[in-house]
Amino acid sequence: MPSPPLPRTTATPDAPLVGLIANPVSARDIRRIVANASNLQLADRVNIVLRALATLAATGVTRVLMMPDRAGIRAMLSRHLQREHNLQHAFPQVEFLDLEPTSTVDDTFLAARLLREAGAAAIIVLGGDGTHRAVVRELIAGADSSTAIPIAGLSTGTNNAFPELRESSVVGLAVGLYATGRLSAEQALAPNKLLDVSIQSGDGIRRDIALVDAAISTDRYIGARALWKPEGLHSVFLTFAEPHAIGLSSIGGLLAPIARDAPGGLAVRLAADPARRQFGLLAPIAPGMAREIGIEQFEPMPAGRPFAVDLDAGVVALDGERELTFKSGERVTVTLRENAFRTVDIARCMRVAATAGLFRLCS
Amino acid sequence: MPDNNPFPLPKDELLDAYRRMRTIREFEERLHVDFARGDIPGFVHLYAGEEAAAVGIMKHLWDGDHIASTHRGHGHCIAKGVDVVAMMKEIYGKKGGACEGKGGSMHIADLSKGMMGANGILGAGAPLVCGAALAAKYRAKQKGGPSDVAISFVGDGASNQGTFLESLNLAAVWNLPAIFVVENNGYAESTARDYGTAVDSYVDRAAGFGLPGITVDGTDFFAVYEAAGEVIRRAREGGGPSLLECKMVRFHGHFEGDAQTYRAKGELEDIRANRDCLQRFTQAILGAKAVSEAELQAIDRDVLGLIERAVAEAKAAPPPDAADLTTDVYVRY
Repeated sequence: MPSPPLPRTTATPDAPLVGLIANPVSARDIRRIVANASNLQLADRVNIVLRALATLAATGVTRVLMMPDRAGIRAMLSRHLQREHNLQHAFPQVEFLDLEPTSTVDDTFLAARLLREAGAAAIIVLGGDGTHRAVVRELIAGADSSTAIPIAGLSTGTNNAFPELRESSVVGLAVGLYATGRLSAEQALAPNKLLDVSIQSGDGIRRDIALVDAAISTDRYIGARALWKPEGLHSVFLTFAEPHAIGLSSIGGLLAPIARDAPGGLAVRLAADPARRQFGLLAPIAPGMAREIGIEQFEPMPAGRPFAVDLDAGVVALDGERELTFKSGERVTVTLRENAFRTVDIARCMRVAATAGLFRLCS
Repeated sequence: MPDNNPFPLPKDELLDAYRRMRTIREFEERLHVDFARGDIPGFVHLYAGEEAAAVGIMKHLWDGDHIASTHRGHGHCIAKGVDVVAMMKEIYGKKGGACEGKGGSMHIADLSKGMMGANGILGAGAPLVCGAALAAKYRAKQKGGPSDVAISFVGDGASNQGTFLESLNLAAVWNLPAIFVVENNGYAESTARDYGTAVDSYVDRAAGFGLPGITVDGTDFFAVYEAAGEVIRRAREGGGPSLLECKMVRFHGHFEGDAQTYRAKGELEDIRANRDCLQRFTQAILGAKAVSEAELQAIDRDVLGLIERAVAEAKAAPPPDAADLTTDVYVRY
C-alpha cells in the first residue's frame, strides 16, 4: 500500500533559505579521452539534486534558490518538480537566481554572490574541485571566515579531492538541520584551509586560490585546462593530502599524509631531471593514471609562510586545472591559509543529531 | 624554439593558424556584404566567429584524412586547404568553381584535400564519415602504421538527426577512426539548443553510444587544438571514435538575411566584443611576443588581396552552360 503523501511545504519570506549551485559541465574535460574518466550524466545530476531537495524538505527547509544554467539541469529539474508537484510530494519551493547563464565559470561566481546577497544559510555545491574553488573564491571575497556562508559539497567532478563522496539525501538532511537552526554553527561547521597564490610583476599582482592543490608546471599555456601529464610537473603545494585521494594531492598523500583538519600543508618539489631526483613515487595523478613521479624533496608548509616558486616561466594549475600562466620576471608565491572558510561537516552533523535525538519523532 | 613562444606550436605554425583563421573571417565578412548586394545566388551560411574550431582541429590533419562538413562549411573548407578562389567561384555559381559552379555554397567539395563536401542535408555527413573511416581503417591494416582519420562536423541542431545517432553507434561498433565534432553555437537555426535537445550534454550522448566525449571552449584555439590532438591521436592509433563538443558562437544569422529576432538584446555585440576567437588568439600570441604585429599585418594584407582576387575572378568567370548539365553527375566505375 503506498504511503500517504507528505504535506506540501509552504514558503514564507523569512523561512530558512538554502542555495544550490549545480555545475552542469563538470566532468566533461579531456580526461575522458586520455584517462577513461567517468561522466556523470545530466539526468543523474538532476536526480542528485532531487534527492537533496526531498530531504531538505523533510527537515523543514521550504525555500531553495538555485543557479540557472543553459545546459539542461534547470529544464530537466523543472520537469521533474512539476511531476513531484502533481504527485503531491513534499519539496521546497525552488526558484532560480536572476542571472543570464553564460555557461562559463562566471555563472558560478555570480550565483555565489547572489546567494550571499539573498542571505542563504548554506550552499550545496555539485561539482568537482574546480566548481568548489569558484564558489569559495566568491564567498570569501570581502568576508572573513566567521561570516562566509558555509558550503556542503557533492562530488560530481573528475578528481574530487575536495568534495567528499556523499549521498545527497544525507547532505540534504545535514544542511537542513543547520539551516533551520536545529544545529548550531559550532556543531555543524568545520574550518578549512586554502592556498593563496599570487603572481607579482611590474604591472601589479594577480591573485587566486586553491582548495586542495596548486601545481606548478613547465607548460606555458592554458590549453584544455586539465593537468594530467606528469612530465612538466615542477612542484605541488597541498592544503591536505590523503592516501586514498585521486589527483595531484595523491602525491602528498602517498609521501606524507596530512588530514583535512590538521594544521599546515605540504610542499613537494618534483624532479623530471634524474640527477636531482631522490626517488620515484607511483601516484594516481588522474583517474586511471598511476604514474611514476620523480621526487626531489618535500617539506611541511606552515600557515602564513609564503613559498616562492623557483621556476622562470610556466603555468599554475589550481585544483587540477591550468589557470594562470607566468613568465620570466614574474614572482609566484604560494601561502597556506588556515580557517579560511567553513563547510558543513556532514558526518558530524548526523552524529550530533543522532546523539541529541533530533530525528526521533513523537509517536 | 625561441624562448618567448610558450605555445605548443612553433612560430611558423602559429602564423599558419592565424592565416587560416583570418582567411575564413575575411572570406565570410566579404560574403556577408556581397550577398546583401544581391551578387550571390542561393543561400549562404557564414562561419565567422567559429574559426578556432575548424582550424584548431584541422591543424592536426593531413590530406589523406577526410572531413564531412555541414551547410555552414566555408570555414571547414578553408581550414582543410581547399583553394579559396575555387570556393568563391563555386559560391558565385561559376565555371572553375570547386564543383564547376553547379553546387554552390552548400556543396563545396575537394576530394584531393580530403574534403568530402559541405552538405545541405542536416546530419548527412556523419554516415559518410563512417564510410571514410572504415576505408581508412582498412588501408591502415594493409599498410601498417597510424590510420588516416575521418571527421564529421555537425551542428547542435543536426545532432538530433537519426543519421548522426546511427553513425555514433556504427562507429563505436566498428571501432572506427572517426571523430564527431559537435559545433555547438547555441542555436538550431533559430531554436535555442536548451529548448530543442532533450539530452543536453553531448558528452552524455556519446556515453549513451559507448564512446568517450569531451567538451571544450570552441572560442579558445589552444583548448581546441590540445583536445583535438588527443582525440585524433587516439583514433589514428586504434583507440576508436570520440565525440568533441566545441562550444562556440556565430557572428551572423543562421543564413544571410536572417533577422535574428531570437537573440537576446545586445547578444551579438557582446559575443563580438568578448567571445571573438580570432581576437583571443591574436591577443595570446602577440601578448606572449611569440609573433610580431608586423608579421600579422603582412598576413592581413595577403589575405585581403586573396579575397579581393577571388571575388574579382569569380565575378569575371562564366557560368556553366547547357553542355555542363550532365557532366560530373554520374561516375563510371
